[in-house]
Amino acid sequence: MTAVAPPVAPPETTTGTLRREDTRLLCGQGEYLGDVQRPDLKHIAILRSPLAHARIRDIDVSGALTLPGVIGAFTGAELAADTGTFNHHLEAIPTLRQINWSVLAVDKVRFVGEAVAAVVADSRYIAEDALELIEVDYEELPAVSDVEAALEGDSPQLYEDWGDNVFLYIPGPHGDTETAFANADGVLEEKFTHHRIIGLPLDGHGALGEFDPATGRLVLHASTQIPHFLRTVLAEITGLSEAKIRVVAPDMGGGFGNKVHMVREEALVAVLAMRVRHPVVWKQDRTESLTASVHSRQQVHNVEAAYRNDGRILGLRAEIIADVGSPELYVIGAGPAIVTTAIVPNCYDLQDYAFELRCVATNKAPMGAYRGYGQGQAVFLIERVLDLVGEKLGIDPVEMRRINMIPDEQRPYVTATGAVLDCGSFHDQLSDLLEGADYDAACRRRDEARTEDRLVGVGIAQMVEATAPNIHGLAGQFGVYEMAMLAVQPDGKVNVVVGTKSQGQGHETIFAKAAADELGISPDDVTVSDGDTGVLPYGSGTWGSRSVVMGGGAVIKAARQVRDKMVAIAAGLLDAPADQITVSDGFFRFGEAAIPFAQIASAAYLHTFLLPPGMDPGLSVIVGYDSFNTSPFPDERGKMNVAATYATAAAAAVVEVDPATGVVSVGDLTIVHDCGTVMNQVILDGQIHGAVMQAIGQTFFEELHYDENGQPLTTTLLDYAIPTFGDVVEPRIIHRETPSDLIGGYRGAGEGALIVVPAALAAAVHDALVPLGVPITQANLSPPRLRELLRGHSAA
Amino acid sequence: MTDVRFSLNGEAAEVDVEPRELLLDTLRDRLSMTGAHAACEQGACGACTVLVGGASVRSCLMFTVQVNGAEVRTIEGVGSPGALHPIQQALSTHHGLQCGYCTPGMVLTALEMFEADPHPSRDEIVEWMSGNLCRCTGYINIVGALEALAGTAEAQS
Amino acid sequence: MKPARFEYVAVESVAEATEALADSEDARVLAGGQSLVPLMNLRLARPSLLVDVNGLGALSGFEARNGTLRFGAMCRHRFLETDPAVRRQAPIVAETAGLIGHVGIRNRGTLGGSIAHADPVAELPALLVALDGNVVASGTTGERTVPAAEFFAGPFMTSLEPAELLTAVEIPAHSEGDGGAFSEFVLRHGDFATAGVAVILHRDEGGACDRLRVAGCGLGPIPMDLSAAGEFLLGESALTDGGADELGRRVAAASDPTGDVHGSGEYRRELAAVLAADAVRRAWGRAGSAGRG
Repeated sequence: MTAVAPPVAPPETTTGTLRREDTRLLCGQGEYLGDVQRPDLKHIAILRSPLAHARIRDIDVSGALTLPGVIGAFTGAELAADTGTFNHHLEAIPTLRQINWSVLAVDKVRFVGEAVAAVVADSRYIAEDALELIEVDYEELPAVSDVEAALEGDSPQLYEDWGDNVFLYIPGPHGDTETAFANADGVLEEKFTHHRIIGLPLDGHGALGEFDPATGRLVLHASTQIPHFLRTVLAEITGLSEAKIRVVAPDMGGGFGNKVHMVREEALVAVLAMRVRHPVVWKQDRTESLTASVHSRQQVHNVEAAYRNDGRILGLRAEIIADVGSPELYVIGAGPAIVTTAIVPNCYDLQDYAFELRCVATNKAPMGAYRGYGQGQAVFLIERVLDLVGEKLGIDPVEMRRINMIPDEQRPYVTATGAVLDCGSFHDQLSDLLEGADYDAACRRRDEARTEDRLVGVGIAQMVEATAPNIHGLAGQFGVYEMAMLAVQPDGKVNVVVGTKSQGQGHETIFAKAAADELGISPDDVTVSDGDTGVLPYGSGTWGSRSVVMGGGAVIKAARQVRDKMVAIAAGLLDAPADQITVSDGFFRFGEAAIPFAQIASAAYLHTFLLPPGMDPGLSVIVGYDSFNTSPFPDERGKMNVAATYATAAAAAVVEVDPATGVVSVGDLTIVHDCGTVMNQVILDGQIHGAVMQAIGQTFFEELHYDENGQPLTTTLLDYAIPTFGDVVEPRIIHRETPSDLIGGYRGAGEGALIVVPAALAAAVHDALVPLGVPITQANLSPPRLRELLRGHSAA
Repeated sequence: MTDVRFSLNGEAAEVDVEPRELLLDTLRDRLSMTGAHAACEQGACGACTVLVGGASVRSCLMFTVQVNGAEVRTIEGVGSPGALHPIQQALSTHHGLQCGYCTPGMVLTALEMFEADPHPSRDEIVEWMSGNLCRCTGYINIVGALEALAGTAEAQS
Repeated sequence: MKPARFEYVAVESVAEATEALADSEDARVLAGGQSLVPLMNLRLARPSLLVDVNGLGALSGFEARNGTLRFGAMCRHRFLETDPAVRRQAPIVAETAGLIGHVGIRNRGTLGGSIAHADPVAELPALLVALDGNVVASGTTGERTVPAAEFFAGPFMTSLEPAELLTAVEIPAHSEGDGGAFSEFVLRHGDFATAGVAVILHRDEGGACDRLRVAGCGLGPIPMDLSAAGEFLLGESALTDGGADELGRRVAAASDPTGDVHGSGEYRRELAAVLAADAVRRAWGRAGSAGRG
């Protein structure tokens, strides 16, 4: 099961491409949202609030309407008259504040960048000119940008009728923490902080809407990870039926969770397309992306861990405070924090775990998803606790983990929060990590470096990731299932349509292979498409490391159904029993006899007299595929199995800190990764590379800054720094393949490295700073932040 | 409006534009060269890179009126689906692209690099390419592709 | 993110440029555009007229005259970085130009543009102060030379008159015993410096330091002349680790940085100490590498 994979050699061939997507993307012939062109296309620009918190007294758009080239100018109040509102569809949660919001702000703005008016014009240039002619009369209100300040009694309130700023409160008293703490030899108390960052696809959100009044049909092209979900919401906002709406997600320049939310502007584009009767487009610019799309990660954890002197963690209490900014975002931006609470036990046997979650509104942009989806914060929490307790007790990090890890023999293992872990051996995975990273040697080199007054550190971390999760409890609708359509055409070529949506993950390549392997043909004969609600009835999109698990499963299921029918046809033609027909290399065979795949196809469509009596013509299926093992809602004890399966990973990092500048150099990084059956290792490794770089960015580079009045200070890519070529960290990747019980044995990939690596880096930096006695309890280890920390300790 | 004539991928182009129109928008919206992408409009990311007179520039930081009489090369003038340029081929072979949004800018910067120096070292590749941001790949396979090409003679067009 | 409307003129002579600047209320010069256009895209800069000086080929070369190197304002950073003659005659200019942005930025960005933009975190203004250079400005009434020390008036502010065009920059020619180094801290390669320190010094035939100038970027509202911090090294023949670190401490103390998202004022001051020590070590070694000291 364990295989230390050598680096994958690229294919020898110099013709053809590794992925079938590559050719068009390399030649500038991809069609991203901004590349979709239409005759008579009009451009939307959006006026955004310059204030963090204000009441809108009046908006006067008349000036904008006088500008040549302007088609229309719209306010929230005007559009609200005949437009539906967003809501979270979570009326069943009594501790969630119920809110409705419109495509543009109506009465109040709650963050700098909130959309208050829109102009449609001949060009984006003219539309932006027109924005300057709109006058808004604001009554400025006091703002709160710090989440802990927002919890104080005298804080400004975003919603006066709430009485406070707590958007969502969830208690999670799992197990018996009272007894655990009573039996403890000691209690660790710590506060952990996670800073605000953003997923930042280079290609931001955007939508292009076309409405045909003659047929009443709306087509919305949108750069979205969830086209079918968006269609459902567009129907609510526009009043059109879902049968009249088609959402098309074109090529996407990344998503990373940022586009798993339906931003209000997408619905605004649909509404305006119906109003102005021209095709209209809005393309998010980078300042809009940084100030008014979807932020992520920001949480504060107050943790108490009860431990025994032998290193066993007996119980854990965690107060999780999530800074959700403006909560007006669908799917709900509290989702990642809810997942944080579920993942805290990680791969450890920790049944006595109680949390209290507060998702708190502040005058900042909405917070929501980003690759990892709250799981990295949970892993950071428990992994830091293990190291800090181990440090108190003089037990090394590896031993602390061995002491607390879920034993191999318990499978499935049901965690305190109800996750049904079907994973492989955590002990073996850890052993692979230690061997792969040459952990003991790294520790020896660290000790030698310390004798030279160099700050070198070694850190490890482990993670369990809920993959192919059930989003129903976070969205109030939508499940975890997937759909796929597979059609063998009369010429024997195959179309596959999936409900997942590639944003760069190479789905055209991997799903073609999955289908071809089942059908016994070449992947070259399979064409894959996605992201079009006009073709496939439904689909759940791409997020939660679900595409291979659910999309791959659906494709395989569809291919098997079609293959079975083709086998039946072949059996008739060969006059053979169906169970003795084999399928390979483009032939259906029985003994020496063989019929080409294409001939079966032509029989099914063109020469239907050849079909067995009573068989319907055609060779196509649409399948739905559900894992049937997740819970849409918590049970009466608050427990739920959120995911179809679970992937695991472990990481080890070696770093050196320059105490003078706060710069951390990552010397070595090893990742053990178990996503079940590996579908395509080159693409998988690419996913891990990208996630590692994002982990580096999150830890050492990226931070969204706001001042105390809620003014955003990181508004361009000159201020918000994502890593570049000079910052490359090349991980050593070790694949373990523990198949899941689902079709194909997949567990899902894409996020794991970003979940586990930040915790490993924090552990390594902590270890490096041991000589200075500076503990690491924050995720932000950028040079200025690390210097700040060192400065605060006189030893430095 | 100003009449601007220039050479675009070896062919004559003529547009009538406001002085404020950015070269990026002219290429994309008037000339259907949508391979250059907008991602930051501040010169920070390199996704809009094109070559003007053989030198890589940010087309989001040039006004179209400035290229009057110049030679402009975009990704559409580098390789074609049936005949990929060696840089394009190497990026695919080494899985040096995922979403592909930054890729045209990467190719053009690499093109300028290889024309200046057919055999750049790894450090030189990093220095040349550092103005082109990628959010997907972690850069590892891009560097790998360009390193592999640096060892061959076919990098120059 | 699109610029507001403006008028545009591509000039063919300095006189034409200064006349155009004189005729318009809020005209701006368009040189490389790598700082101006980002601001225009955000509509934070909205000139009524852009005077495009990219056609002034006469301003894109450099020449040595009477111990002075005179660089045309339109020298692009990439030219300064790569031109063999510049690398030989003004190695510190070439080294510093190479620190600016990325190749695609340096292909367009110009020396004159960088100096005239007077961004307090930019490298070339600080280098010019350290080199004790001059700025040459042309107006409708003629040309004047402004010492760098008098040129920078505040963040993004200079003593250029609205109708003046910065046409050249003058620095002393590199000579025997000169050593210079520019050390900067950037979060990522190619970023604006969080802080940077230029040290320019000269060692006499006996190896003693007889001239030492220090300037910083990101350490105050203008490129800061911090030379007073280095006076204690004058006359010294050897630079000890203690001496370099002491310079760092003094430079940090003399700095006046403010904070932003890239680092607090305190952080920049800490960096100044590290960078000044590094720069003086490198500059000292280079001055000595002429075969003396």
